[in-house]
Amino acid sequence: MYRKFFFAFAVFTLILTACTPGKIDLTPTEQPAPTPITLTDGLGRTVSLPTAAQHVVSLAPSNTEILFAIGAGTQVIGRDMFSDYPAEAASIQDIGGSMGEYNLEAILSLQPDLVLAGGINPPELVASLEGLGQTVYFLPNPTTLEEMYANLETVGTLTGHGSKAAALVESLQARVAAVDAVMMPLNYRPTVYYEIDATNPSSPYTYGPGTFGDLLIQRAGGFNVGSKLEGQWTTISLEQLVTDNPSIVLLGDAAWGETPEKFAARPGMDALDAVKNNHVFPFDDNLVSRPGPRLVDGLEALAKLLHPDLFK
Amino acid sequence: MRHPFILTVLALLLAAILSIAIGSVFIPPADVWRVLTGQPPQMVGQAAVIILTLRLPRTALILLTGAALGASGAAYQGVFRNPLADPYLIGAASGAGLGAVLAMSVNWPYTTVGLLAVPAAAFVGALAAVFLVYLLARVGKTVPTTNLILAGVALSAFATALTSFLMLRSTGELRRAIAWLLGGSVFSGWGPVLVILPFLLLGLGGLLLSGHSLNVLQFGDDQARQMGLPVARARTLILLAASLATAAAVAFSGIIGFIGLIIPHLMRLWLGADYRRLLPLAMIGGAAALLLADVLARVVMAPQELPVGIVTALAGAPFFVWVLRRAKNQGYW
Repeated sequence: MYRKFFFAFAVFTLILTACTPGKIDLTPTEQPAPTPITLTDGLGRTVSLPTAAQHVVSLAPSNTEILFAIGAGTQVIGRDMFSDYPAEAASIQDIGGSMGEYNLEAILSLQPDLVLAGGINPPELVASLEGLGQTVYFLPNPTTLEEMYANLETVGTLTGHGSKAAALVESLQARVAAVDAVMMPLNYRPTVYYEIDATNPSSPYTYGPGTFGDLLIQRAGGFNVGSKLEGQWTTISLEQLVTDNPSIVLLGDAAWGETPEKFAARPGMDALDAVKNNHVFPFDDNLVSRPGPRLVDGLEALAKLLHPDLFK
Repeated sequence: MRHPFILTVLALLLAAILSIAIGSVFIPPADVWRVLTGQPPQMVGQAAVIILTLRLPRTALILLTGAALGASGAAYQGVFRNPLADPYLIGAASGAGLGAVLAMSVNWPYTTVGLLAVPAAAFVGALAAVFLVYLLARVGKTVPTTNLILAGVALSAFATALTSFLMLRSTGELRRAIAWLLGGSVFSGWGPVLVILPFLLLGLGGLLLSGHSLNVLQFGDDQARQMGLPVARARTLILLAASLATAAAVAFSGIIGFIGLIIPHLMRLWLGADYRRLLPLAMIGGAAALLLADVLARVVMAPQELPVGIVTALAGAPFFVWVLRRAKNQGYW
């Protein structure tokens, strides 16, 4: 009897020792040492940060969009007055920007550790902020989608969201590849007229070569009538427009009250195929004019409008 | 009114104090005083930086710009004997605008020289325009004022058209060009003040010395010649000094109108047309007026800052109409 008991007790003890957890590590985990960041910005300046920026002031709407898209939205403490996307940006302090005048005092009082300038900011502004002791990074305007991806990764590095930015770039690339896959090979390329502004209806503005509007229309399988013009945001004559006879008209000035009905009512426009077939559509210009991740949204929107049979 | 100089200087001091104490960020006056006298401010944050590196240099720049515009406005009105003359009459503004827009269409490297390119081009453009107008208007050894005005109008129209064309061509720089043309300092810090100081001192110094010549010129060219004034040379030198001051003023601050037109008139209404007194008074008055306009530009739509040129136009014109009506009713003319 004692032998059975002893045997049971031995087995019980063995099981207990096998189940005891290993030695518990009681030393606190150390914070990773702050890694300094040194980059060269779009103006050729060397910008150094002791660690990832936690308080960022954005001087351009595209920069604000990029910051939120890579997950750094909570690190933005100031933004220019035109930053309206995403909706959370509205509650961030406005630091001016109308007619090129930024409120330097407000920027200073926010005490940012990084000011993110964009292509729309003149170099004098960067110099002024530098003279006031601020760390400024000038993000140049991209001319291709690849350059836009590089900008996303740069901002990711600056704000400590490098992996999030890389993931975003991958997803954007996948979406662009998906559009390409469905569309290629192209069996037809509709002629597109994209209207940026028609305050003067006899001399409306459209996207010329070198703009993202032109690039994305091309990528979405269309032919931009403005691509033959000189200059980037340039006017087109009505006669030229009638000669080109676009089959699709996109109203980028829809946000300012332009409607397909008003467009069709303009003299001479009823001769266009687009008007005859009711292919005049309003379009959100911010999707092709702000050099940020929403350009891919713009590409997808354009592809749907230009090739509705391929993209349901 | 007695002691006009003292009163005007007091107005200038008040305007300068307002300009240093007021801005879009509220800094308690006690802290302002502490920063200016070198003691650390009580308010934690950027009070010292804001006052010393932003407001003080900006106050100095606006002060000098206003002084230059006021004095050269008075000088132009004296030389042309025309109450509608202002510093931009013979092309300084349109030349500066053309120079600035031309410089903006080039991608300058981010160096000290590159950053100075636009103001330097504006300065050179202003002087070149005045020089061209002078050459066009010269008849032998004389420079008739009618010719100057006509040539100035023609050149201004041409330069403005060219500027508009350039702005349409490089639409990427449109925002920057418009912001510059509306007036307002885009640079901060003491750099702009130091750069324009020598030209301003030269121009304003020359103007202050020409008070007597301007008085004599008011009698008409022939009479002045008979009184012993070398008319053509005096006119040339005065215009040169005034244009130098104007060019330095617009280089960093853009085109600010109405100061050069209205301030001399106000001073004339107040104290008469003796140019020996009018020029320094217009200088001080112009500085005070532009400082006040700049304070308004900063607070009226805070946190947005209006370009100063808009404020001077919006505020200056009605104010002048009011002064004019008072002067008419009281029989000044």
